[in-house]
Amino acid sequence: MSRSFFQYIAVAAVVFLTSPALFAIDTSGIEDIAIQEGGRKKPFLVFAHETLLGMTGKSSFSKDGRSLNAIFTVTSIWLAPKGWENEPLILINNQKFKSQVGLNPRKKLFAYRELAESGALRTALNEVSNLRSKNPRASLDIIQREVSNIGMRLALFEGLVSGNLVTLLPTAAAAWSPLPTEDPALIELRRGLLQNNQGAFNRGLELLRSEQASEEVRFQADPAKIAIEVAYQKIHPFRWAWILYLVAGILLITIPGSAGYILGWIFSGAGFLLQVSGFVLRILISGRAPVTNMYESVVWVAFGTILFALIFEAIYRSRYFLLGAVPVAVASLILADTQPVILNSAINPLVPVLADNFWLTTHVLSITLSYGAFALALGVGHIILGKTIFGSKASPALNNYLYRTLQVGVLLLAVGTLLGGVWANYSWGRFWDWDPKETWALIALLVYLFLLHGRIAGKWAGFGMAVGAVLAFQSIIMAWYGVNFILGVGLHSYGFGSGGLPGAVAFVSVEFLFVAIAVFRHRFLARKAATA
Amino acid sequence: MAWSHLRLSALPQQGGVLTKNNPLTPAARRALVESRKRASLGWRIIHWLGSLQLALVLLSTIAIACAAATIAESEFSTKIAQTYIYKAPWFLVWLGVLCINLFSVTLTRWPWEKKHVGFIITHYGIITLLVGAMIGLHTGFEGNVTLHKDKPPLRKVTVNRSIIQVESPTDTALYVMPFDASVARPSIKSPRVFDVPGTQLRIVADDFSDNLRKEETLAQSSKGGPGVLLRFTSPRMAQIVDMPLVLESDSPTEKDFFGLANIVLQRDPPMKTEATPPETQMVFGRFAPVVQGSTIPTGVAVSLSQDGRKVTISTADATSATYLREEIMRKPLAAAGSLVTVEDYWPDFEMRDGRPTTKSGDPNNPAALVRIQSSSGDGKPALVLSPKGNGISYQLQRSGKSYANGVAEKGDSFALGWADWEAELIESLPMAEITTFLKPGLPLPEGEVGIPGFRAKLTSNETSNVPSRWVPSGEITTLTDGKNVVRIGYGLELRPVPFSIRLVDFEVPRYEGTETPSNFIASVEFQDAATGELKTGTARMNHPASFPGTILANITGINYKFSQAEWNPRDLDETTLQVLYDPGWLFKWLGSLLVCVGISIMFYLKPKSTPRPS
Repeated sequence: MSRSFFQYIAVAAVVFLTSPALFAIDTSGIEDIAIQEGGRKKPFLVFAHETLLGMTGKSSFSKDGRSLNAIFTVTSIWLAPKGWENEPLILINNQKFKSQVGLNPRKKLFAYRELAESGALRTALNEVSNLRSKNPRASLDIIQREVSNIGMRLALFEGLVSGNLVTLLPTAAAAWSPLPTEDPALIELRRGLLQNNQGAFNRGLELLRSEQASEEVRFQADPAKIAIEVAYQKIHPFRWAWILYLVAGILLITIPGSAGYILGWIFSGAGFLLQVSGFVLRILISGRAPVTNMYESVVWVAFGTILFALIFEAIYRSRYFLLGAVPVAVASLILADTQPVILNSAINPLVPVLADNFWLTTHVLSITLSYGAFALALGVGHIILGKTIFGSKASPALNNYLYRTLQVGVLLLAVGTLLGGVWANYSWGRFWDWDPKETWALIALLVYLFLLHGRIAGKWAGFGMAVGAVLAFQSIIMAWYGVNFILGVGLHSYGFGSGGLPGAVAFVSVEFLFVAIAVFRHRFLARKAATA
Repeated sequence: MAWSHLRLSALPQQGGVLTKNNPLTPAARRALVESRKRASLGWRIIHWLGSLQLALVLLSTIAIACAAATIAESEFSTKIAQTYIYKAPWFLVWLGVLCINLFSVTLTRWPWEKKHVGFIITHYGIITLLVGAMIGLHTGFEGNVTLHKDKPPLRKVTVNRSIIQVESPTDTALYVMPFDASVARPSIKSPRVFDVPGTQLRIVADDFSDNLRKEETLAQSSKGGPGVLLRFTSPRMAQIVDMPLVLESDSPTEKDFFGLANIVLQRDPPMKTEATPPETQMVFGRFAPVVQGSTIPTGVAVSLSQDGRKVTISTADATSATYLREEIMRKPLAAAGSLVTVEDYWPDFEMRDGRPTTKSGDPNNPAALVRIQSSSGDGKPALVLSPKGNGISYQLQRSGKSYANGVAEKGDSFALGWADWEAELIESLPMAEITTFLKPGLPLPEGEVGIPGFRAKLTSNETSNVPSRWVPSGEITTLTDGKNVVRIGYGLELRPVPFSIRLVDFEVPRYEGTETPSNFIASVEFQDAATGELKTGTARMNHPASFPGTILANITGINYKFSQAEWNPRDLDETTLQVLYDPGWLFKWLGSLLVCVGISIMFYLKPKSTPRPS
């Protein structure tokens, strides 16, 4: 690993004795150049963003106090690798692992050279790759998953430095190839970057464009798709959506009366439309429904929450639905926007089992929409509990709203779980086999059914239902996040990931604490009412 | 007949059909329920079985059990979760109770009204679904079949169920029983006993290993050729390996020794091959201190201590070892690929009449005759043995040239010149055979799969002390108690199917520019065993191939479905398909449909009898 790297460095050093003293040129012209990577063709902008994010966990890199954007950083590592091996570019999260291999546990980013020289890390990487080569489906523990991630980050860096990752040339074979060393476009691009020569860099881009265009059209990238993806990458529709939702929420609280209500409608409606357009763009780019990984499902649940809130608002004209939905949607979208390592927004090809299936799409959409409905119920439940904590009592109407929301969730979860069975029957051959994801969907459904049946039995009503809506949502957290990120076994492995556990534990703990305080207040108020 | 003491209440309406036009008021319904509960024990039981309290207990316990199972699956294994929860009898009973609860609750709403439609459809839907699951569990099966393009059609599929097969000695019938030793883990403390049908015999399983290893040993036999058992030891590697060899015919028996050397047993003594000339040197304790191999550059140096008691052998890479001379007399010692032998010793050396002799027993002038035999060469070394009397004669060869030879009796050891390996002759028999036996190996590291099996013995009331045997998965083992013989098999169940299946083609398309598969496409050919009719099918991801595959078969699930399960990146002519036969399928999808429709009706199509609270 290290030997090959230093070979590249040596070549680079011999051929280009000058190293860039000052990063002064604008590399953004490369953003809409198509590149084939990760099983599809995408703009260089997206490639740079994903690659930097994949290595560092951040979308920009700060060097000598200056923030370098993803395009510049990635282009520079690719064209002028000298010196980058000493820059802290490789993310290592797991504290325990860092201590194990003798790295500073307080540092997050490490230089390639430091890691390449660590014998302990290499041993760990070999162990995991041996484990994987022996049994490709071996389940990895948290440390092993981290090691495998580090391995992929190192491979990204090596791929950039060697240029092998930067497959820019369409070929008659399906696979594109990297630019050869003597390629004039590459020489010009490199000269431009090393000598801060904007003209040379731009000439290199023109050469590259014409080289790409010289291959048969069917092997080229679709320019319309590339343009859409550049736009999607730049607009950040989901970021603007949460900003608008937040504004809507603030207006709803601060401006009383119908003015605040109408403004709340306008802003949340605008955010909703932005979210819809974001999904449309994403569907156009990927050619599939936007619910195939954790990032997409988080954004989709936020969408579902607002969708149901707007529908209910249209029916009942109460502001509680929007008030309940906004915090949930904003929190989910901020999470999706700011935690790219845990929630990876990259559009990657699907494992075969997920590709092209009607039942897949319907069962996932239905289940994630039910999460949205339950999240709305969580929001409304919080309003009821909050009212209790502040000493007032929820109106019967508010209690009814909560019940209506729960109904939507139960229907969608039941339908989604059963459709999942139908899908499993088509794709895996069997209807139900107690796969952890299936089982947790069922557990969540049973928990909500328990809640609804307890209400019919007269065991609880208004306040109890609100407590239940908040507690039952923890089973959704487990079905949604826990199965993929904590249990890590089963057939739904394509959605597995790591990270975020402290956050999830904190969320669940805060919820329990909140419920405990509300219950305490409720008892207190009830006693007071009884004695009065 | 006596009047029971009743309070006056509304009596049930006669007829009891869907009373569309005049629904009961809630109060009248409550009164009706109360009265029929008082009047009849049957109704009391129905209302208890259909109670919400029972429903809440069922919902919560099933949810908790499932949650525990998923954690068990993550911590231990899928098998454990299935055995102790999902497929455990108590869980199935619990689901049965759930069915009863669901059915009874619909009865408690009698007489039914329009508002009950959604409620009844939903609850019967769940029952239908669970019935489908039960039918699937008991009459269906799930298995897999590994197909290869170059292999003949298969008529059997492997079912994911471990079984034990017992062949009764009284009839030739084969008895089959599900038994998974890796889950049941029989031990001395909790053995598992199987009765052999038609006899008083019992098979007692009392140990389990997930890593059985096959070992060979030499046994006396009335026929068969001469045999030897050699034990190879390497102190440095802490290894002991037994190797039996039997001469079956006139041609030599050859075995491989870890790829390090060949071991050959032949009838005739090893041919006198052209040996590299050994180098013999006289080593003196007092005078010339060191003698070094010089004719062949072995790099080995030998010295004798001044009192003649110790011999030091040092090699070119500056490692040296000192031995007590008495212990190593005439034993070849391996040193840097050479064999060093102290052939003779004289404490008080003197040449007399041209022959070495000793003047006295005192170590005044100790001298030793040392032979240094180079075994260096390019080829793999060989140990060639032939029976000789009660022992063997052996020859060590490299590149076809002998570098050491000798004879060994039972119990004798000799160095081999391969690292620090030594051989010891444990047994030499004029008529012998090789028998194999199974032995549990060390626990396997995680992620590796060995041969599982259990230890079993055949017992009856008359016999007590009978030897145990290991029964490995995938083989037939014969158990005996001295009088009776019972053959048992253990492993995954092979289930015959009424057709044969053959892999015609297998393709793995990839995502552009990557090695990531985008699909798996297996083209298969079925042949009906009864009619001989041929049918082709394609199993793609999400699109199984099926046989017979007609519309009716697809709807009812009386259909064998083959979906893509596993592939072998190293052999793209091979694929593993999952096989499913599920006669419960009709009930499952019908039940699912009913539940979805029922909930929708219940929540959103309720007749507006009760005003919406505002």
